[in-house]
Amino acid sequence: MDELLQALAQGFLVGSTYGLLALGMGLIYSVSGLVNFAHGDFFSLGMYLCFALFSAFALDPYVSLVITLPAMMLIGAGVYQFLIRPIAGHHLLMVIQLTLGLALLVQNGILMVFGGQFERTPSIVESKLVLLGPVVVRMPHVIACLASFGIAAALYVLLRSTDWGRAIRSVHQNAKAAALMGIDVGRVRMLTFAAGLGLLAIAAALIVPGTPMHPSLGLRYTVITLIVMVLGGMTNFVGIMLAGLVIGISEALGTIYLSDMLGMLMPYLIFVVIMLLRPQGLLKAA
Amino acid sequence: MKSEFFTVLRSPVFWGAIILLALGPFVLPSYYLHIATLTLIYIALASSWNIVGGIGGQISLAHSLFVGTGAVLSSALLLKLGINMWLGMVIAALVSGLMGAIISFIDFRFRLGHLSFALITLAFAEMGEIIVIGTEALGGASGLFLPKDKGDLLAFQFGSGAGIFWVMLTLAVGAILINLAVLNLPLGFYLRTIRDNEAAAQAIGVNILRNKTIAMVISAMFTSVIGTAYARYLTFVDPYQLASPVLTVEIVLIATVGGLGKAFGPALGAVLLIPLGEILRGKLGGSLPGLHYFVYGAVVIAVILATPRGLLPALQSRLASWRGSAKSEAKKPSIAAPGA
Repeated sequence: MDELLQALAQGFLVGSTYGLLALGMGLIYSVSGLVNFAHGDFFSLGMYLCFALFSAFALDPYVSLVITLPAMMLIGAGVYQFLIRPIAGHHLLMVIQLTLGLALLVQNGILMVFGGQFERTPSIVESKLVLLGPVVVRMPHVIACLASFGIAAALYVLLRSTDWGRAIRSVHQNAKAAALMGIDVGRVRMLTFAAGLGLLAIAAALIVPGTPMHPSLGLRYTVITLIVMVLGGMTNFVGIMLAGLVIGISEALGTIYLSDMLGMLMPYLIFVVIMLLRPQGLLKAA
Repeated sequence: MKSEFFTVLRSPVFWGAIILLALGPFVLPSYYLHIATLTLIYIALASSWNIVGGIGGQISLAHSLFVGTGAVLSSALLLKLGINMWLGMVIAALVSGLMGAIISFIDFRFRLGHLSFALITLAFAEMGEIIVIGTEALGGASGLFLPKDKGDLLAFQFGSGAGIFWVMLTLAVGAILINLAVLNLPLGFYLRTIRDNEAAAQAIGVNILRNKTIAMVISAMFTSVIGTAYARYLTFVDPYQLASPVLTVEIVLIATVGGLGKAFGPALGAVLLIPLGEILRGKLGGSLPGLHYFVYGAVVIAVILATPRGLLPALQSRLASWRGSAKSEAKKPSIAAPGA
C-alpha cells in the first residue's frame, strides 16, 4: 500500500511538470498551428543554461531564472522571426522538418559546449525531503509541482481576461478575421513563441535540481511533451495538465508493478488507446 | 499520362546513368564506395516512404518499424532458428505488410487526422524499438551479429563491396520505378485525390481504405526488404540504429527536402544529404563531438529556407522559367512558375 501511495505521489509530481512542458508547446500550437519538434531540445538548453550559470557564478537554478527567462524568450522571438515566419504557410512537413533541423542544431551545440557526459545542477533545497504520512517526496519536486499548477492557473487567467490573451485566442480561432480586427497576427505569434520558450526556461529551472541531464535526451522530452499535449486536446490547458498527470502516474506505476519493458511501453500504450477512443483528447478542446 | 512510366523505361539517359553507376565499384576507393552504397540505401528507403508520405500524403512515422522488422526479424530467424535469410526476408516482408495493413485499418476505422496519424505511428515505432531492445530472442539491446559475408548468393551473401553495392543499386532503381508506376497507375491518381481532398475523393467513389492500404502495404514490404539488405550490409544489426524512430525522421527529412510526391524527389534529397552527412562526419567528426551534426542541421535549415517546396520542384520551376524566358523573348513575357 505504501509503495502504491509512493508511486502515485511520485507520478503526480513528475506528471505536473510534464504538463508544464506541454503548456508551452500547446500555447505555440494554438496560435501558429506549429508543432515544435525542437521543444525538448530547447528545454535541454534551458537546463544547460542553469548549469552554466551555476558553474560560473554558483547561482542557484531558481535564482538564475532572472537571466535564463529573458534569454530564452529572446531566442524564441528570434527563431520565430528569422526561421519559422519565412516558411509559414508551406507544407506542414516542411515546417516540422525545419524544427527538426533546429533540434539537431541545439542538441549538438550543447554537445560541443558541454561535452557528452551526464551533468547535474544542485540546488540548496535539493536534499530536503518532505514527509506526507507514509510518503516521502523530494523538496524540488514539490516546488516544481506547486509552481506548475500556479503557472497553469496564471496562464488560464491571462488567456481569459487580458488583451494579450484575447488576441491569442482570436488568432487561434481565425487568423484572417483577427487581422481584420486590427490584431498584428505576426507579432502575436512571435510573442507567443517567445512566451512558449519562456515557459520552458521556467520548467527547466524547476526540474533541473537533481535531474541528470545529457545533450541527447531532447527528443525524448519532445515525444513525451507531444503525447501529453495531444492527450490534453492540443489547446485545452486544463486537459493538458490532466494529461501530464495521467502520463506521469502511468509511467511511475508501470515501472514499479510491471517489468521494465512494459513500464516503458505504458505511456505509449495509454496514448494509443486514448487517441483511438477519444481522438479529441481527454477534455474537449477549449 | 500513362506514358511517363514508359518514357523513363525507354529513356537511354535513365539506363545510361544506371550503367554508369553500376561501374562505380571498379573506380571508387572503398571509402567513397561506402558513401555511394549508403546513398543508394537511403534513396531506396526515402522513395519507398514517398509512396505513403508523398504521393498518399499520410505522414507515417512508423517506417522504422518496417526497416527494423526486415533487419532484426530476418537476422534473428537466421541466427536462432537457422532459417535461410532469403526466406527470412520474405517472412519479414509479409509481417511488415501485415503491420502496414493494420496501421491503415486503424487509420481508417478511427478517422485519424494528419497529426494524430503521425503521432500514433510514432508511438508504434517507439514501442517497436522498446520491444526489440527488451526481447532477448530478437537480440535485445546488444544487437545481432550476422556471419561474415563470403559471397554465397544462396545464403543471402553478396560479397563485400561491389556485390552489395549492386544489390542496393537494384533496390534504389526498383523503388524509383515503383514510384513512377504508382504515379501513373489509377492507384496514384486515387492516392493524390485522397491526399488533396479526402471528402471529395470519397464523394466521387474513390475507395479510401483500399487505396491507402495498398499503398501502405507496398511501401512497408519494400521497406522491409531494404531493411534486410541493409542488415546484411552492416553485418552488425543494432536495434538503436535500425529500429529507432530517429531512422524514420532521417528518411522523412530526405524525402521532404528532396520533393514530396515526386518520383525522383526523395532520390535527389538522398544524393544531397547522405554524402554531405558522411563527408562532414569524416572531416569534422574527429575534431569536436557534435560539430558535424551541427553543420548538418544548419545546412538542412538553410536548404528548407531556400526551397520551402522541396529541391526538385524548385529546380523544375527554375528550369521551366529559364526555358520559358528563352522561348518567350520573341513572343510574350515569360510566365514564371509561382514562387520562382
